[in-house]
Amino acid sequence: MSANTDSLHHSHDPGLKHQYEDMAQQSETYLVGMWTFLVSEVMFFGALFFIYTLYRWNYQQDFYIAHEHLDVRMGAFNTTVLLFSSFTMVMAVQAAQLKKRMNVMGYLAVTVLCALTFLVVKFFEYSSKFADHLYPGVNFNTDAVKAFGEHALENGHVAVNMNHAQLFYGLYFGMTGLHAVHIIVGIGILISLIRLWFNKADSVIHDYVPTELVGLYWHFVDLVWIFLFPLFYLMPKPH
Amino acid sequence: MANAEAHSHEHHIVPTSTYIKTLLALFVLMVITVLVAGVNLPRIGFLSGTVVNQVIALAIALIKAFLVVTIFMGVKFGTKLIKLWASVGFIWVLLIFGILGDYTMRKYEPAPSWDSKADSALPRVTPEDPKMPDHNSTNVIIRQ
Repeated sequence: MSANTDSLHHSHDPGLKHQYEDMAQQSETYLVGMWTFLVSEVMFFGALFFIYTLYRWNYQQDFYIAHEHLDVRMGAFNTTVLLFSSFTMVMAVQAAQLKKRMNVMGYLAVTVLCALTFLVVKFFEYSSKFADHLYPGVNFNTDAVKAFGEHALENGHVAVNMNHAQLFYGLYFGMTGLHAVHIIVGIGILISLIRLWFNKADSVIHDYVPTELVGLYWHFVDLVWIFLFPLFYLMPKPH
Repeated sequence: MANAEAHSHEHHIVPTSTYIKTLLALFVLMVITVLVAGVNLPRIGFLSGTVVNQVIALAIALIKAFLVVTIFMGVKFGTKLIKLWASVGFIWVLLIFGILGDYTMRKYEPAPSWDSKADSALPRVTPEDPKMPDHNSTNVIIRQ
């Protein structure tokens, strides 16, 4: 009897899909699905972080010398931008809960702008590395790395193993590159979400959870960067 | 009655101030990690100064990650099932890093006790065995 009236009541909720008992069950199902995807992403990035740890463990000094060519200011700026974009994303989700459509679109737009800013900074970082031939391959600029090895450490004249230095740049471009691909995909998803809100699509205006799912993806991208930043830009000096 | 509870739960909205405080905490942690990275910290016991620096940098990253997962990703306000699912990723990373044990322990191989019953063991690839190829040239990571 009680269950019957419940389902009658809920059938009026326009956000509820017919296969779910109620909104709570629907939301949990959506969220668990998204988290399952995110766990698969953790597996993907986790393996890369493991590879990084393994080589870093063995070639600490070579990695330190190679890393000195990265610009900490650019890395820190990008970290700030991504952390801020996570905040605007969460504010968009809050606005979706309050059904404030204009606010949702505004916060999502700011999130997209942050993502684009991140990519522009990344573009300049990559260009300077390409210009200096600091990428693995036959044209690798061994002189630049060698020159740095001579004054990077107190004990002077450190012989840098160029294979290890190239390994560092391989990992740098591989991991930050895959992270950048996630940012680009995220921009596509965010713009699609803005479009849905703009068109007052039933899928987003009656239920805030789809917006929250995009938020989860975006926070995950931020999460990966939280670890990439100290590992690549803030390597401690061997001492 | 249960319906009313579900309804109120569904509209649980985190106040903006919580998000702003989280963001500020993340910024402060980021500034700390950048500043600490520029200082050569002293050795603590058997940990060299380099390791102390690295441990602090990763600890700060973990705190930042925890804040993002609990507050921004809403796991703190989620159901038990969501909390379980969110922990699975963390457990996976711990498991995969367990493989490091293999890489760090190889240099102790073969352990003397293994050879007490020579017949019980299968032939093993060891640097001491002259019939086996030189591993220093083929796999730098394992036997550097």
